[in-house]
Amino acid sequence: MGRGHRKTAGSEMAGDFEVQFIDRGERTARFVVRGVTPAFANGLRRAIVADVPTLSIDSVRIIENSSVMFDEQIALRLGLVPLTTPPDEFEEGDSVTLALDVEGPDTAYSGDLVSNHELVEPADKNIPIIELKYPETADSPQRLELEADAVMGRGREHAKNQGGIAVGYRHLQTVDVVGDQDAFNDGSEESTVLRGVIEESAAEHAVSAGNGTPENGQLVPTETFDNDLAQRYPDKEVDVRDVPESFVFHVESDGSMSIDELVLTATDTLLDRADELEQAVSL
Amino acid sequence: MMVPVRCFTCGKVVGEHWEEFKERTKENDESAEIVLDDLGIERPCCRRMLVSHKDLVDIVSPYQ
Repeated sequence: MGRGHRKTAGSEMAGDFEVQFIDRGERTARFVVRGVTPAFANGLRRAIVADVPTLSIDSVRIIENSSVMFDEQIALRLGLVPLTTPPDEFEEGDSVTLALDVEGPDTAYSGDLVSNHELVEPADKNIPIIELKYPETADSPQRLELEADAVMGRGREHAKNQGGIAVGYRHLQTVDVVGDQDAFNDGSEESTVLRGVIEESAAEHAVSAGNGTPENGQLVPTETFDNDLAQRYPDKEVDVRDVPESFVFHVESDGSMSIDELVLTATDTLLDRADELEQAVSL
Repeated sequence: MMVPVRCFTCGKVVGEHWEEFKERTKENDESAEIVLDDLGIERPCCRRMLVSHKDLVDIVSPYQ
């Protein structure tokens, strides 16, 4: 579990906010952000999806295409292939050239794309672009040869530039034990199903799911108790409430950059926007 | 015709997993549910992309 601090805009009203990771994978992560308003949380989500520039193929020069697909269809498929985007290397609008040359009978994969920049390559190598045949009736195999320009663009222009996939957040919640459950409750009264992450605040009533003793303040993903509060707090009557100004973000990257880079670049774009607004209104 | 590169709804790259999915479900007769879980394709929007796909290149290619 990592902790990090990041200072928001150099203005007086914004303070530090705290980031605490729950899951941290190469392409997906879940973390809690504290001390932000719902508006800021949504602003961050939108920035991750639409405002982080990534490289993706934008124009294609077809040299030979005798496959079963039209040039435009192949260009679209190439555009959707995520390309690794090195940090601070490119400005918006910069481009990189890639080339592809495959002859049937074979399948052209995203991994067959060769770029002229050592840090830019397809993030996923195994995406089939088009299956090329050598039909018995034909005198030459199907062939695909092309050159493509990848351009730095933003998700708000085209979905192929979205670095973040299915980015979302929900409130961090906490559970209060308000009493014992009615002895005659057959479980039909109220659902105890909860999804997300809870901050433990009733550790003395909690049953551990085999990951250490429950402690107050601990962050517990609900899937550790099968999303069922009746398993975590057996025979107790519970009350769920939101922790104010705390959000659990779920971020998934398409591989064009790491989660850290994606989220940090998104916060930077928010800062830039705030600065721009400040400049625009101060005469 | 060819498997979609990304999920139409969320944008996750699903084309990457098509060949493994196809081999395991069609040739090894594994259940699609287990294979998709294995491949880390969690959301129903991404799962339908692979479950409902059919390769058509072989059917179309004779008519070039």
